[in-house]
Amino acid sequence: MLTSSPFLAGCAGIQSALDPAGVEADAVAALFWVMVAGAAVIWLAVMGVLYYATRRDRVVHSETFAGRVILWAGAILPTLILTALLAYGLSMMPRLRPWDARAAEDAPLRIEVVGEQFWWRVTYHRDGMEPVVSANEIRMPVGERVTFTLRSADVIHAFWIPSLGGKMDMIPGRENTLTLEATKAGIYRGPCAEFCGSSHALMALAAVVMETGAFDEWLARQAEPSPGVGENEAGRAAFLANGCGACHAVAGTEANGTIGPDLSHLGSRVTLGAGIVENSKAGIGRFIAETDHVKPGVRMPAYRALPDEEIDAIAGWLKGLE
Amino acid sequence: MRLIPREVESLWTLFTAPVIWAGHFLAAYIGAAVFCAKQDLLPFGFGGVRAYIAAITLLALAGIVLAGFLAWRQWGFGAEDPPHQGWSREDRRRFQGFATLLLCALSLVAVVFTAMPAIFIAECNP
Amino acid sequence: MTYAYPETLPPDTRTDAEREAEADGLRKVWEAPKGLRYWTAVNNTEVGVWYTAAAFIFMLFAGVLALIVRTQLSVPGNDLVSAEFFNQAFTLHGTVMMFLFAVPIFEAVAIIILPQMLGARDLPFPRLSAFGFWCFIIGGVFVCGSIFFNAAPDAGWFMYPPLATSEEAGIGADIWLLGLSFIEVASIAAAVELIIGVLKCRPPGMHINLMPLYAWYVLIVAGMILFAFPPLIAGDILFELERMFDWPFFDAARGGDPLLWQHLFWIFGHPEVYIVFLPAIALLAMIVPTFAQRPIVGYSWIVLAAVGTGFLSFGLWVHHMFTTGLPSISLGFFSAASEAVAIPTGVQIFVFIATLLAGRIVFSVPMLFAAGALAIFVIGGLTGVMVALAPFDWQAHDSYFVVAHLHYVLIGGVLFPIVAGIYYFFPLVGNRRLSDRLGKVGFWLMFVGFNVGFFPMHFAGLRGMPRRVFTYPDEIGLNMLNLVSTIGAFIFAAGVLVIVWAVVRPKGREPYAARNPWNAGTLEWVAEMPGESWGIRSIPIIKSRYPLWDDPNLIADIDAGRYYLADASEGHRETIVTSVLSAQPLQCLRVSGPSFVPMFSAAALGAVFIFLTYHWWWPTLVAGVLALVGILYWLWTATAVIPDKAQKDVGLGLTLPIYVSGPKSVGWWAMFITMTGDGTAFGSLVFGYFFYWTIHDDFTAGVGGPGAAWPMAALAFFLAAWIAMLVARRANAAGRPGALRGLLVLSLTLTLAGSAAGLTGPWLHGMDPTTHVYPAIVWVLVIWTACHGAVAVIMQGFCLAGSLSGRLTRQHDIDIHNVVLYWHFLAVTALVTFLVVGLFPLAQRSGG
Repeated sequence: MLTSSPFLAGCAGIQSALDPAGVEADAVAALFWVMVAGAAVIWLAVMGVLYYATRRDRVVHSETFAGRVILWAGAILPTLILTALLAYGLSMMPRLRPWDARAAEDAPLRIEVVGEQFWWRVTYHRDGMEPVVSANEIRMPVGERVTFTLRSADVIHAFWIPSLGGKMDMIPGRENTLTLEATKAGIYRGPCAEFCGSSHALMALAAVVMETGAFDEWLARQAEPSPGVGENEAGRAAFLANGCGACHAVAGTEANGTIGPDLSHLGSRVTLGAGIVENSKAGIGRFIAETDHVKPGVRMPAYRALPDEEIDAIAGWLKGLE
Repeated sequence: MRLIPREVESLWTLFTAPVIWAGHFLAAYIGAAVFCAKQDLLPFGFGGVRAYIAAITLLALAGIVLAGFLAWRQWGFGAEDPPHQGWSREDRRRFQGFATLLLCALSLVAVVFTAMPAIFIAECNP
Repeated sequence: MTYAYPETLPPDTRTDAEREAEADGLRKVWEAPKGLRYWTAVNNTEVGVWYTAAAFIFMLFAGVLALIVRTQLSVPGNDLVSAEFFNQAFTLHGTVMMFLFAVPIFEAVAIIILPQMLGARDLPFPRLSAFGFWCFIIGGVFVCGSIFFNAAPDAGWFMYPPLATSEEAGIGADIWLLGLSFIEVASIAAAVELIIGVLKCRPPGMHINLMPLYAWYVLIVAGMILFAFPPLIAGDILFELERMFDWPFFDAARGGDPLLWQHLFWIFGHPEVYIVFLPAIALLAMIVPTFAQRPIVGYSWIVLAAVGTGFLSFGLWVHHMFTTGLPSISLGFFSAASEAVAIPTGVQIFVFIATLLAGRIVFSVPMLFAAGALAIFVIGGLTGVMVALAPFDWQAHDSYFVVAHLHYVLIGGVLFPIVAGIYYFFPLVGNRRLSDRLGKVGFWLMFVGFNVGFFPMHFAGLRGMPRRVFTYPDEIGLNMLNLVSTIGAFIFAAGVLVIVWAVVRPKGREPYAARNPWNAGTLEWVAEMPGESWGIRSIPIIKSRYPLWDDPNLIADIDAGRYYLADASEGHRETIVTSVLSAQPLQCLRVSGPSFVPMFSAAALGAVFIFLTYHWWWPTLVAGVLALVGILYWLWTATAVIPDKAQKDVGLGLTLPIYVSGPKSVGWWAMFITMTGDGTAFGSLVFGYFFYWTIHDDFTAGVGGPGAAWPMAALAFFLAAWIAMLVARRANAAGRPGALRGLLVLSLTLTLAGSAAGLTGPWLHGMDPTTHVYPAIVWVLVIWTACHGAVAVIMQGFCLAGSLSGRLTRQHDIDIHNVVLYWHFLAVTALVTFLVVGLFPLAQRSGG
């Protein structure tokens, strides 16, 4: 069901909190390895004592001595370790997610992400630009703290790009804010982390971290209709004739539906169908014809009944929207 | 009025210190949560929350220290070491005193832990 | 005025024939019914075994679901099962393991061994145990059966709305809510029974410092159930009202909030982890001293750990909500408590190690499982300390790291100790020891399989695998980890099967185990091999923590019937009630025998819940009436029975009353404990009211409230009814039945008036509960109070009938005491309800 997409091939670290590429993920990964080392020492020590205690060929210790073991090893030492760990963990919180009450409104780059079953609606709010609408993909500049405004349109989802930082839930009726700063350019993957229904496993996004200049160029292109709109006339006609525009918007055409993902620059996205299908003409065609197989429970009906050549034309046109 | 209460013959004194912890925990959590939900309507800032948490923490610690003293007394000021497994009223009281004293120590640590976030966190950020 | 125990046992003057006649009498009174009537048994030795067996069958069922889940995940992009089925499978796996195995197995094992440890003949309310069992089995079969009709719940075992309130959740969500609410009733019933069992049914002389540690744990855990389950029941009520009648408690569009469910669920859900963990550790606290062949070192430390964990576990719930966007100061508090709870947990582990250090171990299968439990559990505890830190949890939350963590905790901290306990206690139930060879094979398969299966999941999680995914992509580095996990899961399952075989294989030709086969020190090992149905031949005086070690003659003296209640000459099932701290004998309690009533009442109540699921209103009503009739018949015929004589000579010069009332009676305690739980549920609803206040600028959303006049009138009626009840009790104590009856009628009328006035407020103000959450929560509070008013009316009618029929008299006044106690709680409920709904909106308005 999940076809292999070339961009993902051999990229074992693209969804891993242990291959950090963000300020928060870096700090948490370091914390994790320190805790693992500490935990290993503690576990080995406890097991060592337990093994010693179960040997029959040793002296039987006095009750007083055993009582001291409880006091020191069972109570006082753990208390000291936990106190230090708690203090460190608490001090990390304001450091990792620095908070400026105005940040949510005035951030230089604010990306609004709305979770829907089973995809992501994305809107970029960049200083001095009109909002730019996209879907199923986040692009952000490296080395800049980006504010994410997270909401949900239906059930609870969770926004999580393990390579960059921790997750934050998207809860109906609430608006959550998360800030992330990437340290390495690259393409990462973010799965939906809160169970959201039948295709929860098939809801992911690509997170593309770019150099700042490249990002701004890209965003400027996204704000305009794709040059591909004018090409492949038959595909565009079929797209519009079959009513795709009732749910999907494509800038530069009369398709302006807002129920499904915006397709204005579909051809240049890293993946298809919220991170699950290779973005190719064949992939688009399969998504149109077998939507319900590719993604059980999705709201879009499968267009199996359409003639192959028509699907092919639509797919070709959409792939051209770069 | 006596300054230090008389000894109470009851199982429930065992729970004094944990109950103080629970009260302190709830007071801290509810106070901070209501402040963060309603801060636009309130005349003071997060500093007020910190002062409030400091105050209830001192109060809780005082309560636990008092309970600990009473437990220590019930234990006979440590006149005899555990296990307190004899069949006498004295042993039973010493057991209750010692167990209560241990719970006071744990509750003391737990109250301090609960207060620690107010040291490191200075705003209501989500 | 305390009773002086005899210094030494008086010389035994009975002949062997007399002793045998006593034993026959006891045997006859306590024997289980035969044939089909066997299922009317209520004695702990029968009910406990059924309960345990049923819980294990549910566990195996949930285990099969887990294997399906693991098989599906063995390779990427697998399509062995559909997403739809997978979601039902993992939802049911979690639900069944938690609600139908982990919690019930505690109750089941406690019902079997607690009375044995306390030298009690039975728990104080055997029919309540049986009722709980029948509720459990009916609800459990209903919930599990749903998957065969493709109708199982599929929104995850914590059922987050709005996914679980949506249309697409289907009937599975209702089955979850109603089926499990029904089982929660059984859990609370067991908690009531066990608390009273520990506090009031200890053998004479067993001071609080001499209780077996298991009893300490049972006391604490049962207390936790009392405060943890009611918030979930309150949540279930809100949830089902939303699903059934569209009251928008969790619908953000109409002022509700999905987060309220998360709060209520986890206020239950986190203590629940400790509710299942502590009783399992309690088994180790019995096993370790036996195989160290010495008393536990650090008895008081265990008490510290149990009580401390019990309290702290209620301050952890938000750590399941670290990513919901709550203010970070709130996360900090819960992070702190989550770290603090590790302290008592560590203490428990070192108590076991210290006990071994001060003794010399005897190797055995139970000890093997105990050691394996510690090895696994310590890892789970250490990862628990990690996820308790909010920044780390932001990454780990809802990933396979958490799946690994929770299984290390639950399998290391619950399943392994339970298997150790089964191996250890099996001779008490099955009269034989289980095979050592099978035990060792099973242990190593389980231990290796578990670690192979679950250790890789830590890394799968941090490599970005979210929990609850039915598949995962090929290229992101999860393939090998998942394949290894699946292989481990099957090795683990093989180990479980070996243990199951060890338990169920026919053992008819094997010899009986020796009496006290492990040379243990605690009282449950007095049991004869093969066992007798009477629990204990005579109830001894206990003077130490390990009486079998400290008094070599104890078993012989008990067997000879030289202690208390050595016979059943009046043909009643009897046990001794003692005082809380010093276990001074207070009462000879007659407990009830076999009956169809618990089964009938449970079936009728079960039918209420099942019919409600399908919205069959008339059958629901009929079943409700039948349940009420069954319960009233039960109460009328089997509680507060007036005995044929006031006192009984129980032996050794001790004469005890048979009928006691008020705080001295176990029924009064049961009412007190039940109402504490009831009050917690009510408190959770009030919490909901104020929760909505905090999240909205104007929580009434411009909807007019119920006004102040009607709520205040209702409050006045309720308080007047309460005062009338107080006076009624006084009239009865003064021997004025006429006044008693008049006051009961007066109070009953006032209660009806109060309930009606309470409902009139929102009714007359046109509050429509489907429009917004504010009218909905007001309606819930007044309906809650009115329903309690209706129950009060039934109780008042019951007392009235009792007075008219001579059941309730000046000397025999259990009922009126218990009803007045109920009224204390109801008065507080009414006070809070009507002040809140009547006055708080005004205060809010004037305050700004």
